[in-house]
Amino acid sequence: MKYDTVIVGSGPAGSVTARFAAESGAKVLMIERRSEVGIPVLCGEGISKNVDNYKVLEGRRWIANNMDGARIFSPDGTKVTLAAEMAGNETGYVLYRDIFDQELARGAVRAGAELMLNTRAVNLIKENGKIKGVKAKHFDEEIEIRADVVVGADGVESKVGRWGGIKTTLKPKDLETCAQYTLTGIDVDRAYCDFYLGKKIAPGGYVWVFPKGNDFANVGIGILASLSTPGLATKLLDKFISSHPELKKGEPVRFLAGAVSVCEPYESVRDNLLLVGDAARQVDPITGGGLIASIEAGKIAGETIGKAVEKQKFDKDLLSIYEKAAEEAFYKKLKRNYMVKEIMLGFEDKTLNMLADSLKNVKFGEVSTLGLVKALMSKHPSLLVKLRPLIKAAKV
Amino acid sequence: MGKPKALVDRETCLACGGCISVCLQDAVSMIASKASVNKEKCISCEICIKTCPVGAISWEGQ
Repeated sequence: MKYDTVIVGSGPAGSVTARFAAESGAKVLMIERRSEVGIPVLCGEGISKNVDNYKVLEGRRWIANNMDGARIFSPDGTKVTLAAEMAGNETGYVLYRDIFDQELARGAVRAGAELMLNTRAVNLIKENGKIKGVKAKHFDEEIEIRADVVVGADGVESKVGRWGGIKTTLKPKDLETCAQYTLTGIDVDRAYCDFYLGKKIAPGGYVWVFPKGNDFANVGIGILASLSTPGLATKLLDKFISSHPELKKGEPVRFLAGAVSVCEPYESVRDNLLLVGDAARQVDPITGGGLIASIEAGKIAGETIGKAVEKQKFDKDLLSIYEKAAEEAFYKKLKRNYMVKEIMLGFEDKTLNMLADSLKNVKFGEVSTLGLVKALMSKHPSLLVKLRPLIKAAKV
Repeated sequence: MGKPKALVDRETCLACGGCISVCLQDAVSMIASKASVNKEKCISCEICIKTCPVGAISWEGQ
């Protein structure tokens, strides 16, 4: 089997890369270790409405709920509301992530990409030190897939990067370890995504309630792995739910665990190799959201592979077009948010309470983390000292 | 007797990959859709055990 590119993983980053590579004329094979694209869901399922700008999804079946805004609860319960009607701009959707992923994969297949399920990459094919494709297991059969470019879209636990010599190991302080129930039979305000902060609630992270309907929501937790003990994420989530009567009365229809990086993006390119999505740590370090970044990076990666095939050049120099364009497009934001995350980790609960108290009646200019930071700065000029590195970065 | 090694309870593991991404020894892989520790590579550092959100990893023999 010989392809221009073999893509390991059929999540959003893999499927969007496959689609744009195929559209640019490349012969594409995407492999997926599981027997169904998008299953199991490992995600809070929140996404910005900016996803519509990429035009990579057909229909609206992948949307569970349309949000008006977000509410942030400080440790003492003070509520800060970021509402779309105040700001006049877009907020988010809650997804059916399985359908979402399958729609993206369908887009790749329509563009001409091939998709092979039950196929687990086990190593790279290397000849004279050069990457020539991937060795994989299709069910129990060992196969070799030859390709000029190997794409690692294999998620937070990426092995493709490690095999290719990119050090992708995460420090525990750069990983959120997550658990989530999808609860039904509960009372939620379906217009808002809720975030709960506090060292006792979710050390180094937050609890989220993302409604999928009037009585139906994803209730999840992410905590920093460096502050975790065995099973702590699940224990704290159970504690949160039992202390909220409106949630406690529900029953779970799904339970999942997850892991998401909260670091700056890693290097993502080698000769004949590139990484996209969670594998390249293209995740917002504040929210842990990575869908939009994966789609953006996948588009750039796919187009770059198209150029590489046209020129028949697959070295790091050429593939770096992808990394440079991704840096230009969104790495600055991720780096800035990494600084915000590091600063926020230093805040005591009482500081968060004080900040929330000063923001509870603010009308926000934009529904985003940056809008929140801007509002905070105008209320608390003294924060400027702590946020100085951030301001410096924003000016660059 | 060497140090005990990390062991994944396959019933509890939900295959999130957190343990794999923090293992400095590249000792954890997804085998048949569950995390699995390579005992030869494991250096008993405990990072994966602490990271697991559902408490699916513990010391072998415990």
